[in-house]
Formats: sequence, structure tokens, C-alpha cells
Amino acid sequence: MHGTVRCGAVLPGRPLANWARAGVALVCICAVALVLLTRPQAPGSTELAARLDQLYLWHSLLPRLVVAIVAGASLGLSGVLLQRILRNPIADASTLGIASGSELALTAALGLAPAALDVSREWVAFSGGIATVAIVVGLNWRRGLDPVAVALSGMMVGLMASALAVAIILARGEYAMSIFIWGAGSLAQQDWSTALSLAPRFVVGLAIASMLLRPLTLLGLDDAGASSLGLSVNFARLGVLTLAVWLSASVTAEVGVIGFLGLAAPAIARMLGARTMKQMIFAAPLSGAALLLVTDCAMQLLSPGFSDLAPAGATVALLGGPVLLFLLSRLRGALGAPGRIAAAPARELRRPHLALALLAAGVVLLVLGAVVIGGGADGWMVATGRLLEDLLVFRGPRTVAAGAAGAMLAAAGFLMQKMTGNPVASPEVLGVSAGTGAGLTIALLFVPFPAPPIMLTGMALGGLAAFLMMLAISAQSRFSPERLLLAGVAIGAFSMTLVTVVLSSGGMRGFVLLTWLSGSTNRVGAFEAWIAVVSAIALIAPLPFFARWLAILPLDDDAGRALGLALGRCRLLIALFAALLTAMSCFIVGPLSLIGLVAPHVARLLGFQRVLQHLAASILLGAGLLAGADWLSRLIIYPYQLPVGLLASLVGGPYLIWLLNRTEKLA
Amino acid sequence: MRMTGRRLARREFLALGAAATLLPRSLRAQTGVRVATLDWALLETLLAIGANVVAATELLQFREVAVKPDIPAGVADLGLRGTPNFEALRLAAPDLIVNSNFYQWANERMSRIAPVETHSVYVPGQSPYALSESAALALGQRLKLDSARRFVDGARAELERLRHRLGGGDGRAVMPINLGDARHFRAFGADSVFGDVLARLGLQNAWKEATSYSANAPVGIEALAAAPDAWIILIPPHPLDALRRLEQSAFWNALPAVAGGRVLTLGPVNPYGALPAALRFANLLVEGMLDARNG
Repeated sequence: MHGTVRCGAVLPGRPLANWARAGVALVCICAVALVLLTRPQAPGSTELAARLDQLYLWHSLLPRLVVAIVAGASLGLSGVLLQRILRNPIADASTLGIASGSELALTAALGLAPAALDVSREWVAFSGGIATVAIVVGLNWRRGLDPVAVALSGMMVGLMASALAVAIILARGEYAMSIFIWGAGSLAQQDWSTALSLAPRFVVGLAIASMLLRPLTLLGLDDAGASSLGLSVNFARLGVLTLAVWLSASVTAEVGVIGFLGLAAPAIARMLGARTMKQMIFAAPLSGAALLLVTDCAMQLLSPGFSDLAPAGATVALLGGPVLLFLLSRLRGALGAPGRIAAAPARELRRPHLALALLAAGVVLLVLGAVVIGGGADGWMVATGRLLEDLLVFRGPRTVAAGAAGAMLAAAGFLMQKMTGNPVASPEVLGVSAGTGAGLTIALLFVPFPAPPIMLTGMALGGLAAFLMMLAISAQSRFSPERLLLAGVAIGAFSMTLVTVVLSSGGMRGFVLLTWLSGSTNRVGAFEAWIAVVSAIALIAPLPFFARWLAILPLDDDAGRALGLALGRCRLLIALFAALLTAMSCFIVGPLSLIGLVAPHVARLLGFQRVLQHLAASILLGAGLLAGADWLSRLIIYPYQLPVGLLASLVGGPYLIWLLNRTEKLA
Repeated sequence: MRMTGRRLARREFLALGAAATLLPRSLRAQTGVRVATLDWALLETLLAIGANVVAATELLQFREVAVKPDIPAGVADLGLRGTPNFEALRLAAPDLIVNSNFYQWANERMSRIAPVETHSVYVPGQSPYALSESAALALGQRLKLDSARRFVDGARAELERLRHRLGGGDGRAVMPINLGDARHFRAFGADSVFGDVLARLGLQNAWKEATSYSANAPVGIEALAAAPDAWIILIPPHPLDALRRLEQSAFWNALPAVAGGRVLTLGPVNPYGALPAALRFANLLVEGMLDARNG
């Protein structure tokens, strides 16, 4: 607590911010006091109960409070560092895939090398996080670690890592499901080892960060400015990046994934009055510590007896999401210096219509192949006659639905990228795919074994609610791209928290959610296939009417206004379509919407430049990618099946990264 | 505790010898109605009454978690329980598919392959043991296997025999748990198959709180302090480093059950199983407790 007072001394004394800081400190003190005073008591003889109580206090409760503070501080510091070097107000450990990488390493080690876990759980997770960042940095090294490219490939690698982790969990069944449940960031402690291992790391990290103050301040400038001031940009950025990764990976290793904290802490710090880099380096860790501490205390106070209602890591997003949304509505002007996203140039096709026809023919061939060829006891086989008729009932709907979902995702991604002028935009960033998950979760709370129509209704409502909430928040700023993305991330995290909390309670609901999360088309029947096809047609058909808007929207706002567009209304309508497209496709293939990110990129890099051609090519590519992924998902480990979203991201992700790099070189 | 665990590995074989006599191996028909199922509880029931099982889900994991009964070589693997492979099911050409409420969503799709019948073992608020019995009897009737009745009666007799052998144990309650990591466990309530077996063995379940579909997870290790007099029964599989880390924890070691040597590690048992899982759990538990009593 006295840290907060020190922070007050460092920051400029604006009366309002001072009151806010005092209030935060008071809430922390009250929460800790309440937890200590109302700690559960073990029954039994008074002598035994007293001894257990002392043990609980000194070996469980106090270390837990310390871990909450230190882990929160580490993530806050990591977040502020990452945001600075990426020049991106929505950057945190998840943007770089650190948490997902660590989780994947733990999951894989559980299956492949349990002995490694026996030696050190921490180092397994740490190496996973480091490896993820090494991949991301390696991919962007030649391009001078361009902030936008780093964030883009970081999110791709992160998505792939979590998809792989889920696939391993599913392939191992109930046993490994535990890592997903238990790894959701519980702060429960039995001794001081975690606190003693995290605290020195944070102190060292803070010391190094204070020594790097000058480079950090300079990194806020653009590359040319920083270079002219005599800073080796790549070297400084790499150093800070390593430090930030080190901090957040150690937290993930020790207590699991604590989502959203690295994002929320710097924002809260800014609200509490921190402005300069020096202030941020101290205020962000304090804010992170306060947020995690209060969250964990609240969970302890709400949980009956000694059991955990929900892990703090998952719950912190429940508090963090609304906090960030509130901040968003209060923030005026620019959010730091968001990286201005420039699309890499690509050549233009000479005969785009022929190319489109070829693409369409390819999609048709793919669907035919997927229906006829499948796995069998003795390898792949071509089905004919009666057998084909029987199998068509199962293969037909899922292939068609996957194709339709891919088309809808591609269209949604296309709309969002055009609308925000931001190539990182995708249905997932909009928060709608996560919103459909929240809708499904709530449906499950009412109906334990919901039929598809109930699931679909819940998801559509959830997606729409997430989207409407986002619109309400960003309406104040006329939907500027930065705010839309930030609001989407906040709502996405809030929704995924609901999913995780219910998932971590296990049981049948958890199983239904896990299946949905993994994005399997296995359950698709004729009903879902028809829904997918009809909604794809209904939602995609009106899109050509938006062609003029879509051509103008990526330009800056002034240009749009000068050309006579009612910007707010255009964006509202387009966003509504994007949200509905996302909700429908998420119902079929789960929340892994990498297709929405990839398909428009690939289409553009193939040379489809005009709006309508670009849209058509995106849709065809999306349909082909997902239908193909669905086919492969049936074949690769027959009779077991891979989640289709996983395959789509494993194939599409690297391809996009490669294409971006290649085009850059050509240009 | 470790010593008990090692001895159990040796004893497990003997203990299950008794249970194995209940599985009418010789009766197992390679002819007769070809049955397939998605549900593990029904799978072990079918195998136990000697049905001609042609396809079932997640057999790799079944051998790890449920261990027994053995799966005959000819049974086709249908992949994960959450994503059963309908193509493989069609290729296995079953005459009948039995399913539980857990996988109800698949009924409509599977009915295109063969008739589907539902038998549920886990229904909120109902005893899984009683439902396991009715499922076994119903399946026996449907498949015309007299062995079902013998199996159900034999299981009751076996539990009764074990109850006598145990003689009420040492009067302490029992807390069957499944470790998730070194800080959390899954508890099993009165509506779990473990809870049912404890009641039939004349033992008290120390976990009194509400459960969701028979289990409750994740619960912090601190909750074990609420039952200082109970036996702690660890049911694998659990993560390898969980137990090692747990044994270093001051709180764990100070728990009366741990300090008093009242911790038993059994062999793996499927916590969502039917009669065979119940018998396996009962045998492992009674052997372990008798071992501990005799030092």
C-alpha cells in the first residue's frame, strides 16, 4: 500500500487524480483486511483448528496476497513496455502470443515429455513463451521489427499456439482437460515458493526498465526520429521486448494465464494521472497489482469456504473489461501513438475475372473431393454407390457448412479491414466471436443439453449484444478505428471470461464449451448446413451495394466527409453486417476466425485490387480454405479428427506471414 | 503413502481377480447384435455383460483412465467422445447404437446408421449405481443376454462381500479426490459413482457440498482441512508433478490425514463409469484400506 503513496509523490498533483489514487489504495486495504478477517475456519478440535488456521494464514493466504501483488505488478510493467515498443495501446502479452506459447508448451510437455514438467514446470512454460516471441521476432527481423507487423504475426502465432493446445487437450481427453481448467490463472498457494520466485524477477525487471528510460522514451517517436537521436532502434526494441516477455512468461509459468491485465494496468495508470514514461513505469505495475489483488480478494470473499468460485486469472478480465471500457469512454484525443497501418503494395491482376472463375472452379473441385474421398480402416478410400450415399449424409453438410462459414468469415473480415483501415482487424478483434461464446454460455446455464436451434439463438443474441455494446461505447468517437478495435478487444475479453469461468467449473457445460471452442464441424447436420448456406447468401448478397462506401472508408475521415458520406451511419450498417456474418460462422466453426483475417489478405496479395473483385475473391478463398481445412481435419489422424479452425489457422497463418514478407521484398 | 501406492500396484492384480470373475469373458459373443456406443459408462457395461461391441469412442484414453474391462481387438475406435467420427461408425456397420444423455445431440445423426437407444447413468439428483444397474439390465434384455442379471447380482454380492471384509473400516469418513494440479482437486459428491460405492461399503463420504454432475472442480487443497478426520483417497490419473509438489507443501503435510498417514493412492478409475468402474473402485479402496490397517 505504501507503494501507492510513493506513486503519489512521483506523479503531478492534480486533485482529482490524487483522490482517485487514494481511493484505489483504500479499496486495496479494505479488500485485504476483509479477506484476512473473514478467512474460513477449519472445523475440529480447537487446538487443531487453531494450528490449521495459522498454517492457512501463513502458508496459503499471505503468499497468495503477495503473489497477487507481484504477478499484477509484473504484468502491468510488461504491458506498459510492450505497448511502448509496439506503439499500440491494445498491445499486451496476448498480442505477442506469449501466454498462448507458454500454455502450449505446458500442454505439449504433459503429453510428450512429462519428465520435463517434473523437473521444472516454470522453465517449460517460459521456453514456450520465449520460443513464440523468437518466432515472431524472427519473422519480422529483416523489416526492422515494424510494430504493426510484429503485432500481426504475434497474434497469428498466438492463435495457432492456443489452437494447437486445445487440439492436444482434446486428443488426450479428460486427463489433459485439466491443464485448461486449472491453468486458468488461479492464485491459490501452498507455500512461499511462487512469491519468492516472482518477486526478485519483478524487482530486476523494474530496475532494468528504469535504466532503459531514455531508450523507452525515444521508442515512442517514429523510427526515423529515434534513429536520428542516436538510438539503435532494433537493439533497444529487442532488449525491451525480451524484458517484457521475461516478466509475463514467468507469471504465466507460475500462476497460469491472467488475461487482459497487461492491457488494463497501463490504461488505469494513465487515468490515475501518469503521463511520462518514468511515471508509467511505476504507476502501471502499481495499477496491475491493485487490480489483481482486488479481483482475487473479491473472489475469495464470494467463494464458499475454502473452494474457488473461479480462478482469478479468468475473473480479472470480468473486472478489467468494464474498467477498460469505462476508460475508453473517458479518454479524449489520441491514444498514445497507434501505429499507422500501411498496407503492403501488391501487383494488380491483368485478367481478374478469369482468375475469379478459376478460384470458383477450384472451390467446387475441392468440395467434390471432400465428399468422395475419406478415411477408412486401411487408409484413404474413394466411396462410391451405396456407401457414398450413406456417407454423404455426414460429409455433405459439414463440407458445405464449412465452406459457407469460411465465406462469411472472409466477408466479415473484409468489411472490418476496409472499415477500420486496419489489417489486424478481424471478427475476433471486433469481439463478436467471443460474444457468441458468451451467448452460448448463458444458453447452457438455462438448458444443460441445448438443441442446435437453442444454441444458435443464444449465440446470435450474444454476438449481437456484444456488438451493440461495442457500438454504444464507440459511438462517442464516431467509430474511429482505434476505439472500435479497443472496444472490441475489451468486450471480447469480457465474453471469453464468461466462457472460461463456466469452462473451469467442468462438467457437461464445460465439455460443450470446449468442443465449441475447438471449432469442430463434426456436429454439423443438414439443419446447420442449410442455416449456413441461407445466411451466407442472405448476408453476402447485399454487400456489393456497399462497394462505394468500402472504397472510401479506408481513406481518412476528412476525405470521407468531403465526399459526402454520413460516416457514422455507413459504419454502423457495415458493422452490423460484419457482426451477423461473424455470429453465423462462429456457430459452425467456433471462435477461431483466422480465416476472416487471412482470406482478404491473400486475395489482395494475389492481385485483386478493386473493391468488388477483392470481396469476391476473399469470399471464394475463405470458402475454399475452410472447406479444405475441414477435409484435412477428417483425414489426418483418422478416426480421430482435428478441429477445423485449428487446421485453417495452421495452414493460413504461416501462408499469410510468408506472403506479406515476400510481397514486401518484391516491392 | 508412497509405500501403500507401491504395494497396491502389486495387489491391484489380486484385487481385480475377484472382479474379473464377474466379467463373463467366455460369454462374450463375437456374433449376435452388433452394438456401438459413444458413452464410456455404457461401453464398460456392454463389455461386462458380454455384448458384441463393434465400435466405441476414445479407446486409447479408455485404456489409460478406465483400464478395465479390456477392449477386444476388433472394436473400432470412433475418435473423441466430443467429436465422434460418424464415418467410422457407419463403416463399423452396427445393428444397434446405445447412447447416453451426455451425447444426446448425436442421436438424430446416428439414427441414419442404426436404431439409437438411450440409457443414462448420470442424471442430476439420481444414484449412478442404481442407474448403472438398470442400464445393464435393460441392455441385457434388449440384447437377450442372461449374463446381465448375473452381472448385476454378482456386483451386489461383491460389494456386500467387500463391505464385510472392511467391517466398517476405522469409522472415519472418506474423501475420494482427483488431483488437477498441486493446488486443486476434483471432489466427488454423493451423486457420483464413488459416493454410491462408499455408501454401499458402509463408509461415509467426507465431501458434503453440492456437485454438478457428480463432481466438483476445481476445489482448493485448503478445503481438505474441513475434513480433518477423513481418509484422503487419491484417484489417478493426475499430472505427474502434482503429487511431488504437493508433498513439499507445508499445508498439505500438516493436514491431519497426511500427518496421520491416512492417504491412499489407488489405480486409475473412470470417475464417470458404471458398474465395472464401481467394482474396480471398491476393490482398490478396500484392498488399500486393509493394507493400511495391517501396516
